[in-house]
Amino acid sequence: MFARPLTPPRPAVLLCVLAMVSACSTPAASTAPTAPPALATTTPTTAAVVPTSEPTCSPEGAANPDTTPPDQVKGNLSVFDWSGYEDPGFWTDFNKKYKNVDVKFPAMGASDADIYNGIKTGTNTSDVFHPYTGWLQFYVDEGLAEEIDTTKLKNWDKVPESFKALGRFNCKQYFVPWDWGFSSIVYRTDKIPKIDSWAALLDPAYNGHIMMWDDGPGAVTVSSYIHGWDETAITADQLAQAKTEWTAVLKANPTTWAGEPDLIAGFKTGDVWAGYAWQSAYATLLPDLPMAYADPKEGRNSWVGVYGIRKGSPNYDLALRFLDEKLGAATGEYLVNTWYFGTSNADVIAGITDPTLKKAFSVNDPSILQHTNFTPNLTAAQRDAWIAMWSEAKIAAGS
Amino acid sequence: MIRRGSGRTTDPRRRTFLGLALPATLALTLFLVAPLVLMVTLSFRPELTSDLLGPFAPTLKHYEQAASVGGSWQLLQTSAVMAFVVAIVATALAYPIAYFLAFRAGSKAGLYLILLLVPFWTSYLLRVMAWKLMLGNAGVINSVLVGTGIIDQPLTALLYSRATVVVTLIYVWIPFATLPILAVLGRIDVRLHDAAADLYASPFQQFRRVTLPLSLPGLAAAFLMVFIPTIGEYVTPLLVGGNAGIMFGNVIQDYFTKSANWPLGSALSVIMLGVTLVLVVVGLRVVKPRRLLGQ
Repeated sequence: MFARPLTPPRPAVLLCVLAMVSACSTPAASTAPTAPPALATTTPTTAAVVPTSEPTCSPEGAANPDTTPPDQVKGNLSVFDWSGYEDPGFWTDFNKKYKNVDVKFPAMGASDADIYNGIKTGTNTSDVFHPYTGWLQFYVDEGLAEEIDTTKLKNWDKVPESFKALGRFNCKQYFVPWDWGFSSIVYRTDKIPKIDSWAALLDPAYNGHIMMWDDGPGAVTVSSYIHGWDETAITADQLAQAKTEWTAVLKANPTTWAGEPDLIAGFKTGDVWAGYAWQSAYATLLPDLPMAYADPKEGRNSWVGVYGIRKGSPNYDLALRFLDEKLGAATGEYLVNTWYFGTSNADVIAGITDPTLKKAFSVNDPSILQHTNFTPNLTAAQRDAWIAMWSEAKIAAGS
Repeated sequence: MIRRGSGRTTDPRRRTFLGLALPATLALTLFLVAPLVLMVTLSFRPELTSDLLGPFAPTLKHYEQAASVGGSWQLLQTSAVMAFVVAIVATALAYPIAYFLAFRAGSKAGLYLILLLVPFWTSYLLRVMAWKLMLGNAGVINSVLVGTGIIDQPLTALLYSRATVVVTLIYVWIPFATLPILAVLGRIDVRLHDAAADLYASPFQQFRRVTLPLSLPGLAAAFLMVFIPTIGEYVTPLLVGGNAGIMFGNVIQDYFTKSANWPLGSALSVIMLGVTLVLVVVGLRVVKPRRLLGQ
């Protein structure tokens, strides 16, 4: 779901993502990014995120990781990831331990659809793939993902239960949560006094200076927040209204962004004053421009990236080791400190010492979790209808 | 009795021809015909499945859906008009360059040809992105205009419009369009010019009555070489067209890369391919190249 040609951020504020930690003060989850549980009691969309069958699932088996020393493990492993994620820092724990394993990234994805289409059609036969919340149900329903034997993951206990639940369907763990973050509006405070609603993206007062993400489901999600619609049950009339509104936005503003660098460049040239953005864009821009990352009254959006093992992968055991090391400390620290993305490794989040990050954790808005919306899983009908709506809005805007 | 066809296999010239044609034929079959067949087949599949080559019950639902995508026909028409303008202008601008290289550059023609092709030493994306730097609100043109006091505010219309896409595509295609024209002009016997001059033809008359008619095949090739791929263009509008400069290719791209609907994307592609072929055939019938050539 997120096209992320990665742009190196700088030490700066971030992550309101990280503010999650401060909001979770119970010992068990004291410093972990436990956004989902906080949300579970406060937002209607969470029901779509946390499987309803969760309470009936039997406890996970005892940890039983493979004890073969890493240097004795040999083989080849292929990963279908997003462009930029082949960076060795993103799998540094595995890279350092498994010297005799050749990891390849034969093709890179640029969208959730890219990853899904590649795995579904068999045009990409990588062992491991990296989808995001919203698209997970498809892989499970269509038998594209292997069940994960979590007893083999020695780092599994570092992942908060709420994150585990995101990758669990019918009491089976199909995905290992890894990265996560927010979506909201990033804006220039010298141009726009304050943004407290997603409706700012539709505000004619900012015509010519808004940059929306080029993504149909993302646009429908924003519309649902603005109008208070149930995101999981958008009607045809609501979709028609969304199309009308987004057509107006697309007509009134020069361009959208498909990759984060486009958004950042737009801000840096001075053309863009506000845009749909992930926290990483905010962190990247902050040192150079007077920026703010909105806390809309409707709530921010939050997303989680997961790793799965392709059904029929001949390297299942090796893939498990890869996923296990993905949860490793060095990998998580790289993700957080270099790229300002959240990690599902709670220890890493707890161990952050950077004052700027700690400030971001603790003070900005302890209630942030009370009004954050997690991306629900789409149905195929929703996916097709929402993407078609966005496509027609773009055609109408260009006509 | 001599078997029919036995002569063909023993003719050394024919064997040479077949041998030379085989690699290109195989490559075209593998990388052009086969993907086209796959795309057409995919457009009739009910849905995207893991078994792309497996049996299926054909359906026209994606064509019905493609026809009902709001505004798509108008966008296809707009894309065709844009491609026509780009092809005409790029060919017209390429002609003097080719003429210069063929008849005036002399011994330096090779050097000038290399200079013409220098832009290809960098990536297509870089060349298109350079236009963003030129035309942006804080770009070179606006900076100069604002800096010299000619205008107070940057011209926002320079970037992210259909005109920007057309101008950028013309720039991109001019070197390509030059090559087929140059190839034809290079084959014209210069003694024909001398003969025309001996018959008191002015330089303009020499050009109009001799050079231009003989170079029409190159002009037609250049036009088609630009027109056909430009209809389906999507990278350039994506980079410099913005919301106002979208083309039909961008819609197709969306269905392939942002949706899980390859069959619908394939149906849209087949429609575009069909419309392009019809336009080319109709265009050739109207223009009648043979008549232009005086044959």
